Amino acid sequence: MRDDILWELQADKVKDYLRRSQRLDGRALTDYRPFTLQLDFSKNAHGSCRVQLGKTDVIVGVKMDVAEPYPDTPDEGSITVGAEFTPLASPVFEPGPPDQNATELARVVDRCIRESKALDFKKLVIEEGSKVWFVFIDIYVANDCGNLFDASSLGALGALLNTKVPKLEDGKVVKGEYAGRLEVSKMPLLTTFAKIENSIVLDPALDEEKAMDARLSIGTTEERLISAMQKGLGGSFKQAEIEQCIDIAFEKSEELRDGLRKALKG
Amino acid sequence: MNSRLVIPGELVTEKRMKLGPHVFVEKGKIYSDTLGLVKMERGVVRVVPLQGKYMPKANDVVVGIVVAEEYSFYIIDINSFYYSFLPKEEIKLPLKKGSIVSAKIARVNEINEVSLSNIRVLHGGEIIPIAPTRVPRVIGKNASMLKLLQHGTKCAIIVGMNGWVWAKGREENIRLLKKALQKIERESHLSNLTLKIQKMLSSKEADKV
Amino acid sequence: MADEEYRRVDGRKVDELRPIKIIPSVLSRAEGSAYIEWGQNKALAAVFGPREALPQHIQNPTKALVNYVYRMATFSVPDRKSPKPGRREIEISKVSGEALEKAIFVERFPNTTIDIYVHIFDSNAGTRCAALTAASVALADAGIPMRDLVAACAVGRANGKIILDPCKDEEDASDAVDMPLAIMPRTKEVVLLQMDGLISKEDWKKAFEFGLKGCLEVYEIQKRALKHRYEALARTEQKAIKAVDKQLMDAAESLER
Repeated sequence: MRDDILWELQADKVKDYLRRSQRLDGRALTDYRPFTLQLDFSKNAHGSCRVQLGKTDVIVGVKMDVAEPYPDTPDEGSITVGAEFTPLASPVFEPGPPDQNATELARVVDRCIRESKALDFKKLVIEEGSKVWFVFIDIYVANDCGNLFDASSLGALGALLNTKVPKLEDGKVVKGEYAGRLEVSKMPLLTTFAKIENSIVLDPALDEEKAMDARLSIGTTEERLISAMQKGLGGSFKQAEIEQCIDIAFEKSEELRDGLRKALKG
Repeated sequence: MNSRLVIPGELVTEKRMKLGPHVFVEKGKIYSDTLGLVKMERGVVRVVPLQGKYMPKANDVVVGIVVAEEYSFYIIDINSFYYSFLPKEEIKLPLKKGSIVSAKIARVNEINEVSLSNIRVLHGGEIIPIAPTRVPRVIGKNASMLKLLQHGTKCAIIVGMNGWVWAKGREENIRLLKKALQKIERESHLSNLTLKIQKMLSSKEADKV
Repeated sequence: MADEEYRRVDGRKVDELRPIKIIPSVLSRAEGSAYIEWGQNKALAAVFGPREALPQHIQNPTKALVNYVYRMATFSVPDRKSPKPGRREIEISKVSGEALEKAIFVERFPNTTIDIYVHIFDSNAGTRCAALTAASVALADAGIPMRDLVAACAVGRANGKIILDPCKDEEDASDAVDMPLAIMPRTKEVVLLQMDGLISKEDWKKAFEFGLKGCLEVYEIQKRALKHRYEALARTEQKAIKAVDKQLMDAAESLER
C-alpha cells in the first residue's frame, strides 16, 4: 500500500476555496497553468515534444513504421497511441504494463487526433493493400501534478507537428534520412475540466484531482469542431454544464495552440 | 555563519575529531555520508543534511495521518520508512481515513519500526509539510522558535519531528505561518534565525498571547 | 597515427568525453531526481525511499533492497523499440542496482526498498553509464546516505584505437570492444564492469586506465552539478527572502492592528 495522503488531505481545502469561487493556487476557474514546450526533444524519434504544464511533465515521441494495412482499410495508414505512467512520475505509480488509467488516457488522445482528421490516413499509403505508414505516438509521464490528459494531447500534437517522414528505398526505411514533414492539417487538442461539488475548473492540478467528482475532456480543433469527448469518474455533468465547457474549450485551447505556433516558429 | 557544502563521500577533515551524525572515518580521514553542511563545534564534527527522510527516534513527537482502518487497529502514515499501527483500544473516539493524530514514539526496534504512545487526536487544522532535516530549526533552542511562531501567528501548532507541522488558526494567520516556515526552511543554515523571525513577527506581537 | 593527433569520427581525441550536462532536482514528486544529457543521450532519474519493501516477502531484515529499473522509451532508438522491457534492460537494471548498493549505506534501512527509476529518451551509445551517473546524483539529491557517489563511463576500442566514451558509430566498428565501467571515485573501487569484444590484456589495461580517468572526469561534473544546485539555491533564496521579509513584516503589523 502506498498513498498520496497529503494531497488527499488538501481536497477539503480545495472544496472550501471553491465554495468561494477561489482556487488554492490563485488561478481563475478557467485558467491554464503556465506551460512550456520543447520540440525535437529526442533526435532518434521522428518527432518529439516535452511538455511542462505547471509541474506536470510529459515526454511524447513519434516513430513512423512501414506495416501492412488493416484488412478492412487497405487504402489507409493509421496511428497508435500508447501511454506509460512511468514510476518516476509519482510515488503511487508502479512499474509494469499500462493500467486502466494509462490505457484510457492513450485512447482519448488517440480519438482526439484520429477523429479530427488532422492526419489524412489515405496519404499514409505507400502501396495500396500491402504497405502503409503506421504512426506510433508514445506518451511518457515523467511527473504527475495533475491533468495528464491535456499535457499528453499537447505533447502528442507537438510531436506530430515536429515529425519528419523517413525516406523509403525499396519499401524500406532509410535510417537518418527523411522525405519531408508529416502533413498535419489541423490542431486537435484536449481541454479537461474537473467537477468538484458544484464548481467546474479547467486544467485541474493534482490537489483538485483528489477532490474532483467527475472529469470531462473535450477534444477541439481550431475550426471550433469537437473531435472527442470523455467523461470520467463517478460524478456527473448536466447538459448546460457540458455546453458551457465546450465553449470554454474552444476558447482556452487557443492559448495552447498559440504556444505551439510560437514553439514551431522559434 | 558560512558552512561548507559537501556531497556524499567528500572529505570533511583530516583532523582527528569526535564524530557527530552523517560523517564516517576511513583510513583516519573523516568523510560526509550525505549532501549537507559541515559543522565543527567543540571538537565534534557533523554534517547537517539538506535532504532526506525522517529517521524515527524514541521520545520524538510526530504527527501522523490515518491512511486505513483494520479490524483492531488503524494504519498511520508518519512520513517515514513504514506505516505505524495504532491499536483501537488506545483511543476513545473512532478515527477515519484522513484523521490527524500526534503521538510520541515509545520505542524503535532494530528495523526502525515504531510503537506510538501518548496519542492525541487533532481535530480540524491542516498539515504543512517541511523538510524533516529542518525541524530542529523550526523548534529552536528551548523551543524558542516554536513559542515565537505560536505567539506571533496565534495558531495552535504541533511540530512533528517527522517534518509534518499541524496547525490550526484563522486563514490569514495560517498563511503567515506558512511564510514563516518557508523562511525558516530556506534560512535554516543561517545564524540568528530566531531574531530574524522575531523581527518579522514583531516583538510586540510575541509578547501578547 | 599517434594518439595525440588521432581524431575520431565526431572529432574527439581518443580520451575525450562527449559534453555532459547534469541537473539535479527536476521532478517534484520524486524524493530525489536528476536529468542528464550526455552527447545525444538524454535520461531522467528518480529516487523514492527508503520505503517499505512490498510485497513483504521480498524484505530483507538486514538491509535495504536497491531496486534499479532502467528503461528505454520506444522512440529513443533508431528502430522503434517494443514498450515491453527486453532482456537487455533487465540485465542493465540488475548490474546497475548492484553497483549502487555498494555505495549506499543499505544496512541502515532494513526491510525497505530504495527505488531508482531511470528512463532513456534519446540514445547514442553509453546510456547505461549516463543512467547510472544520473541515478547516483538523484540518490544524493534524495539525501540517501552514501559512502561515495558512483561515476560511470564506457571505454572501448574502434579502428585499432583505445577510445574513451565510444559513440554508436564506434561501437559498430568491426574490431569494437565496449567496456562500461563505474567506480566509487574516492577509492577507485570498481562497482560495475561489463565488457564485450575481444582484447589482449595489454590493451585491456590501457582501456581500463582510460576508463578510470573518464569516470573521474564524470565525477567532477556530478559534484559541480550538485554543488551548483544547492549553492545556487542558498544564494537566490537570500534574495527571495528579502522580498518575503517585507510581506511578513506587513502581515505581522496588520495582525497587530
